Amino acid sequence: MSNLLIDRELDVPPATAPGLTAAGRAVRRTRFLNWVAVHAVAVAAALFFVLPFVFVFLTALMSDQQALTRNLWPDSWHWENLRTVWETPGFLTWWKNTLLYAGLGTALTLLSSIPVAYALARFKFRGRNFAMLLVISTMMLPPQVVIVPMYLFWAKQLHLSGTLWPLIIPMAFTDAFSIFLLRQFLLTIPKEYVDAAKVDGCSDFRALVRVILPMAKPAIAAVALFQFFYCWNDYFGPQIYASENPAAWTLSYGLESFKGAHHTNWNLTMAATLLVMAPVIILFFFAQKAFIEGVTLTGVKG
Amino acid sequence: MTATTIAPARRPALSEGLRRKRRQERLRNLAFLSPWLIGVSVFFLYPLVSTVYFSFMKYDGFTAPTWVGLKNWTYVFTDYPFFWPALRNTLWLVIVMVTLRVLFGLGIGLLITKVKTGAGFFRTAFYLPYLAPPVAATMAFAFLLNPGTGPVNNILGSLGLPQPGWFNDPHWSKPALTLLALWGIGDLMVIFMASLLDVPLEQYEAASLDGAGWWQRFKFVTMPNIQPIVLFAVITGVIQTMQYYTQPLVAGKVASGVIGGSGQQFEPGYPEKSTLTLPQLVYHLGFQRFDTGGACVIALVLFGLAMVFTAFLMRRGSGFLATDD
Amino acid sequence: MPRVHRAVLAAAAIALLGTACTGTSTAPAASDDATKDTTITFWHGWSAPSEVAAIDANVKAFEAKFPNIKVKVVGNINDDKIKQALRAGGPNSPDVVSSFTTDNVGTFCASHVFADLKPFLDKSGVDLDKNFPKPLQDYTQFQGTRCTLPLLNDAYGLYYNKDAFKAAGITSPPKTMSEFDAAAKKLTKAKGDSFSQLGFMPNFHGFESTTTHFAAQWNPTYFTAEGKSNLAADPAFANMLKWQSNLVKELGGFAKLEKYRATFGDEFGAKNPFHTGQVAMAIDGEWRLGMAKEAGVKFTMGVAPFPVPDDQADSYGKGYLSGTIIGIANTSQKQNAAWELVKFMTTDTDAVVSFANAIHNVPSTLDALKSPKLTADENFKTFLEIAQHPKSSTTPASPNGGAYQLTLQDFAYAFEAGKQTDLAAGLARTDAQVDKDIAQAK
Repeated sequence: MSNLLIDRELDVPPATAPGLTAAGRAVRRTRFLNWVAVHAVAVAAALFFVLPFVFVFLTALMSDQQALTRNLWPDSWHWENLRTVWETPGFLTWWKNTLLYAGLGTALTLLSSIPVAYALARFKFRGRNFAMLLVISTMMLPPQVVIVPMYLFWAKQLHLSGTLWPLIIPMAFTDAFSIFLLRQFLLTIPKEYVDAAKVDGCSDFRALVRVILPMAKPAIAAVALFQFFYCWNDYFGPQIYASENPAAWTLSYGLESFKGAHHTNWNLTMAATLLVMAPVIILFFFAQKAFIEGVTLTGVKG
Repeated sequence: MTATTIAPARRPALSEGLRRKRRQERLRNLAFLSPWLIGVSVFFLYPLVSTVYFSFMKYDGFTAPTWVGLKNWTYVFTDYPFFWPALRNTLWLVIVMVTLRVLFGLGIGLLITKVKTGAGFFRTAFYLPYLAPPVAATMAFAFLLNPGTGPVNNILGSLGLPQPGWFNDPHWSKPALTLLALWGIGDLMVIFMASLLDVPLEQYEAASLDGAGWWQRFKFVTMPNIQPIVLFAVITGVIQTMQYYTQPLVAGKVASGVIGGSGQQFEPGYPEKSTLTLPQLVYHLGFQRFDTGGACVIALVLFGLAMVFTAFLMRRGSGFLATDD
Repeated sequence: MPRVHRAVLAAAAIALLGTACTGTSTAPAASDDATKDTTITFWHGWSAPSEVAAIDANVKAFEAKFPNIKVKVVGNINDDKIKQALRAGGPNSPDVVSSFTTDNVGTFCASHVFADLKPFLDKSGVDLDKNFPKPLQDYTQFQGTRCTLPLLNDAYGLYYNKDAFKAAGITSPPKTMSEFDAAAKKLTKAKGDSFSQLGFMPNFHGFESTTTHFAAQWNPTYFTAEGKSNLAADPAFANMLKWQSNLVKELGGFAKLEKYRATFGDEFGAKNPFHTGQVAMAIDGEWRLGMAKEAGVKFTMGVAPFPVPDDQADSYGKGYLSGTIIGIANTSQKQNAAWELVKFMTTDTDAVVSFANAIHNVPSTLDALKSPKLTADENFKTFLEIAQHPKSSTTPASPNGGAYQLTLQDFAYAFEAGKQTDLAAGLARTDAQVDKDIAQAK
C-alpha cells in the first residue's frame, strides 16, 4: 500500500532544465496557474463539504425564533441549546446504549473474527474457497433479507426484543466484513514469520497471538473503527429490535424520536444532530490514519 | 465454486504420526472456524431457508402459519402498489446516483492528489461527511433543503434562482438524496486517491515525453490503471443501493412532518412513493402490516438482486478470492 | 459439497422446525387481583413536554385513588412499536396502551392484540351510551369487537382570519361549498406569478387538507356491508374530488399552488401558513387554537364548522373526527389492574376534563363535554359542538389499518395533478386495490 500521507507529484511537468530561461519561466507560470486552478476548485469543493456542518452548527446555537428566518448568522448565541438537548430525558440513556452496542459489538467482533480470518488466510482445508464465497455473500447481503425470521427468532423464541442483545450477540459469531478485511491484510504478511514461530514450538494459536497480531495492528485498528462506526450509525437494527423499549434506544434511533418530539424546534434538532455527529468526528481526528488505510484495504487489494 | 481440495498432506502411505497430525489439523481448523460456522448457520443460512419457507405462508405473528402457495408472490408482483415504484426508484438510483458518485469520487480523488497547499485540511474536509451518522446527516439535509425555511432555498431565493421543493417534491426528492450521497463521498475518494497514487510515475513521465496532454495522460495512463477500482466502485455502489434504507426513510419522515409519535400515518415513500426502496418494503410489510409472507417475498427479491451483483463482482475482481499459494 | 455445508443445512432445518411451530398464543385469562399491590406498564404516544406533564398528572391522580396500583409510564411510542411489541410479548411489553391512530383499531381488534373489553365493561357496569358520543363508540370497535375506548377526541373545522375577512368584505364564515369557493377566491391576492395571500390551500398535501378530512363533509361510506371498498359506488368521493379539483383550478391551478405551498413552514411550527397569514382559511383540528396562541398570531382568529356541500346544507355543523384510543394488551398478565386504569382515564369525568384542559383536546365523554370545569372559550366551543354533531364522522376501521386511506390519497394526488383524468375509472381501480390489500391482510 502506498503511503497516503505523503504527497506525490503526479502532474509531471515537461522535462526541462531548471534555470531562468524563457521556457523555464513559462513552465513556472503554467505551474502557478495550475496551482491556482486546482486550489480554486478545491476551495469550492471544500465549501460543499463543510458548509452543511457550518449551517448545522450555527442553527444549533440560534434562538428558536431565528432558526426559521433568512438570517444565517445567530443574532445571539444560545449555547444552552446543547445543554437542553443533553438534559432531555433519555438522551444520556441513548448515549450509554450506543456506547454499549458499539463498544461491546466491536470487541466481540474482533475476538471472533480474527481467528477465522487467520484460518481463511493461512490454513488449507477442503472448501476454503467456498467458505470465502460465503463470507463475501453475507458481506454483500442487505440486512433486510433475513430480518423477518431473525426477528421472530429473537422475539418469539428468546424473548429478547426490546433490548440491543439481538444486535450484539451475533457479533460474538463473527462479522463478514471484518473477516474479509482482516483476511485481505493477513494475506500480505509473509508466512515465514509463522513458520519460524512454529519451529520454535509455538502452537498456531500462540503464533497468531504472539506474531501475527502485533503485525496486523493497523488492520485490526481499521476493522475496529469500521465496526464501531457501523454500530454507532446503525439505525435499522435498533429500529427493529429496540424501538419498542425507549430504555434501549440508541442515538441514531433516539435522534429521530427527538425530532418527533421537537418537530417545531429546528435549533434543538440541529443541536441534537450535532451532539450525535460529534463523537464520530472527534474519533476520526484521533484515528485518521487507521481509517484511511482501512478504506483502501477494502478496494485496493481486491 | 471450485473447491481447491488439496489435502493437508501428501498422498503416499500415511504413517500413524501423519494421520494424527491431520486429525489435529482438522480439529485446529474447526476450532478457529467455529465462531463463523455457528454465525453463518444461525444468522444467515437458517434465516434464509426460513425466509423461503415463510414466503409461501400466511403468518401474522399471532395465529399459526398456514400454507398459501404462491399467493404472497402474486400479491407482491401484481397487486402490491409499492413494489414496482420501489424497483423503479432503485433503477433510477443505480443509474443516476451510482454514476454521479463514481464520477464525483474520481474527480475529488484526482483533485486531492493535485492539491499541494493545505492537502491535510482538504483531505479531512472531503472525508469527514462520510462519517456523519446517516440519521444525523439526513436530518441536517432535510433542514438545509427545507423548501420554505431552509438556508439553501433562502440563498437560492435571494439570488433570484428557482427554489425546488427538494424532499417535498416527487421530482426533486431523489436528486436531493443524490446530493446527500455526494456529500458523503469520502469512502470513494480515499479508494480512488490510493489507486491514483499507485499508478507508476514512470508511465506519466513516458507519456509526457511523448507529448501527451492532460487528457491524453488521463485517458491512456490513469484510466487503464484504475479501471479495476472504477469497476469495484460501481458494483459496490449498486449493492449499496440495494441496501439503501435509512436516508430515504428518514428524509421522507422529516419532510412529511410525520415522525415520532404523531397521530397521522406516514405515507411510505413520501412524497408520492418517490423515495421507496426495497428494504423499506420489507419493513413496511413485515413490521408495519405484519404480512410476514409478503415481506419474505421482497426479501428474496432483494437477495436475488444482491447475489447477481455480488457474483458479477467476484467474477471481475477475482482477487477477492486470492490466496497465498 | 463440503461436509460443513451439509452440517449447516441440517442445523438450519432443525432451527426452522423450531420457528415453524411457534405462533399460537392463547389469550391469558384475566385472573389477577386488582386490589393487590401491583405495577402495570402504560404506553402512550405523547412526546411534547407539556403533554407528557399532563399525562403524568393524570396517572398521579389514578395512583392516589388506587394506591395499590403503581403505573410505569412510557411515552413517545408510535403504532408500529405497539404492534411489534404486542406481538413479541415478553417482559418489556405493556399492559395498557394508547394510540393516536384510530385507523389501527381494526388491526388491533381483528388480530386480538388488544383484549376484548366487553367482559370488563359488563363487570363494572359501564353503559357505553351513557358515557360516550356515538361516533366515538363507533371508531373504538371493529366488527362488533370492542377492544378500545376513546381517550379524548379531535374535531376538524374551519379556521379563518377575521381581519382578512373584514378586508375582503366577508361578514360571516361560509356555510356551503359554493360560498366557501367564492370566499377563497375573494381572499386570494396575487403577487407577481404567486400570491401575497391565498384564500385556502386546497392541494391534498396542504397539511390537514387531506382526502379523508374533506370527504367527511359528504357523508361518505367507505365500505359496503360485506366489507368491500365502496369508493366508486358512493358519489361522495367523486363529488369531493370534483369540488377540490375545481377549486384548485379557480385558485390558479395545481402547479402554481404547489409552488406556493413550497414556501410554507412546518405544519406544527410557528411558521404554519395560517399563522403567518399566507393562507386566510385552513382546515385544521382543535389543537391549532393553542398552537396559534403560542405562536403569537397577530390577527383575530375565527373558527366555524367546515362548510358542507350545497345539497346537504341542513347538515352544516358536522366535521371529521378522530381521537386517541386506549386498550389493554392481550398479552398482559394484569388485565384487571389494567382495566382500572383504562376505566379511570376514559370514564372519570374529572380525569377526562383535566386532561382535555391540559392538552387542549376535546373531551371524550358526554359528562365531560358538559362539565363546568372544562375551560372552553367561544372558539373551543365550536369544536365541542362539531364533536357532538350527529352527522360528524370518522374513517372506519379496516383489517389492515389505514392502508385504504393511503390508497385513496394516492389516486387523489394523481387526480389533482392531472396525471389521471378519468374519475370513475380511477376510483374503480382504487376500489380494486383496496380490496386486494385487504384480502392479503386477511
